[in-house]
Amino acid sequence: MSSAGAELRGGAGSPAGAGGLDDRTPLARARKGLDACVHCGFCLQACPTYLALEDENDSPRGRLLLMRSVVDGTLSISDPAVEVHIDRCLGCRACETACPSGVPYGELLEATRATMLETHPIPWLGRAILWLFAGRIRLAVVLAAARVLRMTRIPAALGRVPGRFGFGMAMLAASGPALDRQSRGHYRPQGDGRRGRVAVLNGCVMAGLFPETNRATIRTLVANDYRLVKARGQRCCGALHAHAGDLDTARQLARANVAAFERAGVTAIAVNAAGCGAMIKSYGHLLADDPRWANRADTIAGMTRDITELLAAAGPRPGAPGRAAAARRVAYDPPCHLMHAQRVTDAPAAVLAAIPGIELVPLADADQCCGAAGIYNLVQPTVSNAVLAAKIAHIAGSGAGWVATGNPGCLMQIGAGLRRGGHHARAVHPVDLLDAAYSAAHRVRDGANNPPIPPGA
Amino acid sequence: MQRIDEASLARSLEAIVGPRGLLRHRSELAVYTADGLPGYRKFPSLAVFPATRAQLIDVVLALAEHGAPFVPRGAGTGLSGGALADDVVLVGLNRLRRILSLDPDNAIAVVEPGVVNAALSRAAAPFGLYYAPDPSSQAACTIGGNVAENAGGPHCLKYGVTLNHVLGVTAVLSDGEIVTLGPGTSGAEPVGYDLLGAFVGSEGCFGVALDVTVKLMRSPQAVRTLLADFLSMDDAARATSAIIASGILPAALEMMDGPTIRAVEASIFAAGYPADADAVLLAEVDGLAAGLDTDAGTIERICIAHGARTVRIASDPADRARLWQGRKKAFGAMGRVSSHLVVQDAVIPRTQLPSVLAQIREIAARHRVTVCNVFHAGDGNLHPNIGYNAYDADESARVGHAMREIMRVCVDAGGTITGEHGVGLDKLGYMEMIFSPASLAAQCRLREVFDPARRLNPGKVVPIHSCREWTRRPS
Amino acid sequence: MSAPGEAWAPETVAAVQDAVREAVSTRTPIRIAGGGSWLDAGWPVARDARLVRLDGLRGITQYTPGDLTLTARAGTPLRDIADATGVEGQWLALDPFATADDGGSIGATIATASAGPLAHALGLPRDTALGMEVVTGDGEVVRAGGRVVKNVAGYDLTRLMTGAWGTLGVITEVSVRLRARPEVDRTLALAHAGPAESAADVAAAMGCAAMAPLAAELLNPALAARLGVTATGSSVLLLRLGGNAERVDSEQSEAGALGNCAVIDADVWRAFRQCERSYPGAVVVRWSQLPSLVADTWRHALQCCAGSPDALIHASLGRGVVRAIIPAPGVPALARVLRAGERPSGGRMFEGQRIAERLPAPLWSAEPATAAGDRLSRRVRLAFDPWHILNPGILGEGAHDTLGSP
Repeated sequence: MSSAGAELRGGAGSPAGAGGLDDRTPLARARKGLDACVHCGFCLQACPTYLALEDENDSPRGRLLLMRSVVDGTLSISDPAVEVHIDRCLGCRACETACPSGVPYGELLEATRATMLETHPIPWLGRAILWLFAGRIRLAVVLAAARVLRMTRIPAALGRVPGRFGFGMAMLAASGPALDRQSRGHYRPQGDGRRGRVAVLNGCVMAGLFPETNRATIRTLVANDYRLVKARGQRCCGALHAHAGDLDTARQLARANVAAFERAGVTAIAVNAAGCGAMIKSYGHLLADDPRWANRADTIAGMTRDITELLAAAGPRPGAPGRAAAARRVAYDPPCHLMHAQRVTDAPAAVLAAIPGIELVPLADADQCCGAAGIYNLVQPTVSNAVLAAKIAHIAGSGAGWVATGNPGCLMQIGAGLRRGGHHARAVHPVDLLDAAYSAAHRVRDGANNPPIPPGA
Repeated sequence: MQRIDEASLARSLEAIVGPRGLLRHRSELAVYTADGLPGYRKFPSLAVFPATRAQLIDVVLALAEHGAPFVPRGAGTGLSGGALADDVVLVGLNRLRRILSLDPDNAIAVVEPGVVNAALSRAAAPFGLYYAPDPSSQAACTIGGNVAENAGGPHCLKYGVTLNHVLGVTAVLSDGEIVTLGPGTSGAEPVGYDLLGAFVGSEGCFGVALDVTVKLMRSPQAVRTLLADFLSMDDAARATSAIIASGILPAALEMMDGPTIRAVEASIFAAGYPADADAVLLAEVDGLAAGLDTDAGTIERICIAHGARTVRIASDPADRARLWQGRKKAFGAMGRVSSHLVVQDAVIPRTQLPSVLAQIREIAARHRVTVCNVFHAGDGNLHPNIGYNAYDADESARVGHAMREIMRVCVDAGGTITGEHGVGLDKLGYMEMIFSPASLAAQCRLREVFDPARRLNPGKVVPIHSCREWTRRPS
Repeated sequence: MSAPGEAWAPETVAAVQDAVREAVSTRTPIRIAGGGSWLDAGWPVARDARLVRLDGLRGITQYTPGDLTLTARAGTPLRDIADATGVEGQWLALDPFATADDGGSIGATIATASAGPLAHALGLPRDTALGMEVVTGDGEVVRAGGRVVKNVAGYDLTRLMTGAWGTLGVITEVSVRLRARPEVDRTLALAHAGPAESAADVAAAMGCAAMAPLAAELLNPALAARLGVTATGSSVLLLRLGGNAERVDSEQSEAGALGNCAVIDADVWRAFRQCERSYPGAVVVRWSQLPSLVADTWRHALQCCAGSPDALIHASLGRGVVRAIIPAPGVPALARVLRAGERPSGGRMFEGQRIAERLPAPLWSAEPATAAGDRLSRRVRLAFDPWHILNPGILGEGAHDTLGSP
C-alpha cells in the first residue's frame, strides 16, 4: 500500500502508556526533549563514536531512537542494544552544537543512564572511582600517593605497556607539569582586586594531580585584578557521578558545594576544569526539583565561569615584551564540556591569542572529542582509543609542539596518547601558558639573568 | 516470488563483511527503519555494511545468488522514504567514505558513495574549489544519496543540480555486473546514450554507485548577500520575478513566510529577521567582482520598488552567515515547535507563486493547520511545512488532507510533485497525477533494463501496478 | 496512408503515431528529420528508410516570459524561438553549429545534443531540456519531465532521449529553460600574432584572467578569413561577453591584456554557425579531452589537417573540443585526418576522443565501434524501439541489425 502522506501517524511510536516506561523514572520525566528531534541526521557527522564505529546505533539520532523506544515500551531498558549503545556514548555533547532543533541530548543521556542504573550497574572500575571521588579524605590520600608515584618516574616507564594498565600509567605520567620549573610562576602577582571577589574551584584531579596549574590559576586571576577568596568545604563537583547516572550522589555533592560557595560570599566562581565548570553551571537543573535548593543552585550556577572567561573579561594586559626568539607552536583543542556544554569558544581563543611568544596553529577537527570523557577511557577503552587515535593524528599533522586544553581529563588523555605514540608534543593547560608568559615578563622587568625558554617545538 | 534462504544469506554476508558489518537484531535495526522523514517505519530483515568497494561488490553478488531484494542507504537523511523497505536487506554505504582522487588543475574529484557532501567541499577548499550542489542537509548527506535523488539546494538556481556536476559513475547492477557511465575523468565529450543522466535521479533503483566522478567549481571571486523583508508575500513573489527578469541570475533566491520567520525568531536561532514581516527574501549574487555591486544594487532597487521595508546587504563572511542563519535553521526551528513535521517538495512555475500561495493559505485555514513556507523562490520549488501532533488522529487526518490538496493545486498550476527530494515512497501516490499510464510504463521499461528482476530498491518511484508487462515484443 | 517511398510529413502527434505504427507493421525503417540540418550527419541509416519530416509539426505551444520556460513542437526552428523570446529580452541559449538560416529545429537539436558556442557558459542541450513528448518505437506517446526548471519526478527519460539521435523515440514536443538576455552583449576578436599552433595557449591565460565569457571560440586562419574577422591571416579568438556594463567593460580590459582586441558585430556568431553549410559534402570531425589540455588537442587537430589547407578549424576552449570542417578533402588528406590520431607523430599519442560528425558514406564502416554498443545501451534500444525501425544504423550499430539481442 502506498499513498502520499498516508502514514502520518506518529512515526516513531505511540505515547507512553501501558507497557511503556514508568512515569516516575528520570527518562520518562525527560521525554519531552525527545520530541524536538526531526530526524535530520546533522548530528551523525559531529559524533565521534559514529565516525569511529560507523553504525547509526552509535550516533545521537540512533541513541535518541533507542531512548524513544524505551519510553514507548517497544524496547526494554535492559535490552542489550540499549545498554551497549548508551554505554558507548562519550557524553561530549558535540551533537547539541550540531543540532538545528536544540534537542537537549546531554540531559536525556543522564536521565537514561540514571534510569538504567537499576538493571545495569556501573562497571566495578567506575564504581570504585566514583566512591573514591565522593570521599574528600580518601581522594586526597589516593591522589597524593599518585603524585608520589609520578615523581618516581615509574609511570613514565610503564606508560608504553599495552592495555588499560599501561594507558593509565601514561595518563599519570602525562599529568605532571608540562612546562619546566624555570618557566613557572616565580613572581608575585600584583593586582588591585577591583574586579570582585572570586573563589576558585579546587577540584579533585586538579588539586590532586595539577596543583601547579591551580596555583597558576590563582596567580593569573590576582594579576588580572580579581580578589581571591578561599571557599572552604568544597567537594567533588559530581560530574562523574551525574554522567554515570548516579544522580543521588551528584545532588548530595552539589548541595555541599552550593553551601560552600555561598559561605565564601563571592561574585564569581572560577573553574579551570571544563567538565567541572559545565557541571556547576548545570546545578540549577540538577537541583530544580528541590524547592530548598533550586534558587540557591541557580544563583551559584549563574556566577560560575571558566578561567578563560574571567581572563578574557579582564582583557589582555599592555604588552609584556615577549621572548620572541623561540615561539611555542601551540594548537588549541577545545574541551567538549567547554565548547559544546558551556558554549564557551571565544574566551579561550582570545586568551591564547594575547599570550606573547605563542604561535597558534590550526588543528583539524578540533571540535571532536579526544575520547577521555570522564572515566570513559577506562571503561570503554576500545572506542576511547579509536577516538583518541584520530585526535593524535590531527595533532601530529598540525606541527604543533604543544596542545593547549583546559580540562584535566583531556590533558591526561591527549598526553598519554602523545607519549604512547612516541610524539614529542606535550599537552598543557592554557592558564599555565599565560602564567609562564607573566613569569618571563617579570624576569625581564627585573633584569634578571634569564635562562632561555626551552624551544617551543 | 522466490523464497529467500535468510539464514544462508546472513551467513554469506557475514563471511564478506565480518560480524561487525552485519546487523540482524530488531533492536539494532530500528534506527534503520526511517530516513529524514519520521513518518515512515520500514523494517529491513538484515542490514549489511561493506567497508570496501570489493566487499560491496561481493555483497551484491551474494544478494543476487540468493535472489534477495535490497535497498541502498547513505546517511539516511532523505525526505522521501527512499532508503527504506520492509523485509529486504539494507545495504549501508556510509563506510565507503574515501575521496579516491582530487585533481585541482582540472577541478575533478572521484569519490566513494558514502563521502559526505560538505566533507568534499572541505577537502577541495585548500585549492580554492568547492562542490556546488548544496542541499540543506549537506553536513550529513552523502554524494551517493545526492546522485540517487539528483539533489539540488539553494545554489542550484545558478549552478545547476547534481546532474550538472556528475561526470561519471561506476555502478554495480543488481546482478553484479559493473558498468561505467559517462566520460568520467577523461574530460571527453559524452557520446552514446546518456545513461549517466538516466542514472542520476534514479533513486537507487538502477544500480549502486561504486564511485562517482564529479566536477568541482572555483570559488567565486566575490559574493554579495541581501535580505529584504516585505509586509506582503505577493510583493515578495513579484519582486522575485522582477529580479529574474532583469537579466541577473542570482546564485540563490530564497523566501520564507511569516509563520516560518516567527518560528525562527522564537527559537534559539533567532537571526534578527523582523518578526512582523509577511515574507523575507534572501538573495545572493556571486561571480566576478566587477559589476557585482551593480547587480546587488539592482536587486535592492527592485525589492524596494516592490514594497520591501528594509534591505540589508552583507559583504563579509560573518555578516553573510548571519543573514543565512535564519534560512538554514528554519526546519530545525519548526521542529522545536511541534512534535512532528511533514514537508512537501512541489515545484510550480514562478509566475504562479502569488496565486498558489494564496490557495495554500486558504487550504490551511480550511483544515485548521499552520503551514510554514520555506522555498527556493528563484526556481519555484516550494517546501510547505506543517507541524502537528501525530498522536492526535484528527489533526493527522486534517494534515494529510491539506497536504494532498496543496499538491493538487501545485500540479494544476503547471508544476511537478517533487523538485529535489525524490518520489521514493512518499510521493508514489502522486505519480499518476502527472504521468499517463504510457509514460509510467516507459519508466518501468527503463528500470527493467538496469534491474530486470526488480530486486533493487523495490516499490519505489513508479507505482507497481503501472509496471505492466510490455506484451507486444517481437516474436 | 502515403505511397511507399514518399516521405511522411506529419503535422500532429497523432499523425506521427500513425507513421510509426505503419512503419512497425510493415517493418519499414524510418529516418527522422526536422528541417534537415542533420540529415547528412551520423552513421548512414538503412538505405530503404523512409523519411519522416517534422518541419510541419511546429509552433510554440506555451511561453510565459515570467517563468523563463517555453514549450514548442519539435519541428519549430530555433530562429522562430529566438524571435519570440527576443521580443521579451530573453533567449534560448542553444546555437548549434552546421545549421541553416533557421538555426535547426528544436527537436533535432535536442535529439542530436548538438552544441554551439554558447555551450561554453550556458550549458548543453542536456542541461537545457526540461521535458518532452516522444512517440516511442511502439507508437506510444510518452511524456517525460515537465515544464518547470526543477524536477526529479520519475526516471529521467528526458536525459535518455537527449542525444539519442531519434533511436529511442520521435521527439514531438520539447520544453526548455530560457535565460534573460544580458544587458550588454559584446563580441571581441583577438588576433593571435604567432603561428596557429600556439594560438590555443591563450586558453591558459584566459583561465587566470578575471573573466567569464559566454563563449570563447578560437578560429584557425582559414576560418577567420572565411568569416571576415581578419585580414592578416592570423588565428582569431572570438569572445562573447555578457552582463551589466561595468562587468563587460572590466572583462574587456582583461581581454585587452591577452592581446590586441577589437569589438565586432555579434552577427559573426550566426555566420560562424552557418558557414559550413556552404560546403555540402564536407567532412566534419571533433576531437575532445580535458579542457586544460585544449592547446594539445588544438595542435593535434592542426596536424591531422595539415594535408587540407582549406580546413576550417575551431576550438571551443571551455569545453576542450576542437572541430574541423574539411571541404572536399582528397583521399590521402582524409586518411590523415582520420588515422593520424592512432600513430604517434612527433610526440605523445593523442589520448583524447575523436568523433566523426559527417563523413562520406563509405568511410563510416571503418570508424571505430559505436558508443552505443554496450550491453546496457543495446537493451535500452530494444526496450524503446523493439523492431529497430527508428533511424536504424545512425549510431553505428549495424545498418540492418533488426532484432539486436542483449
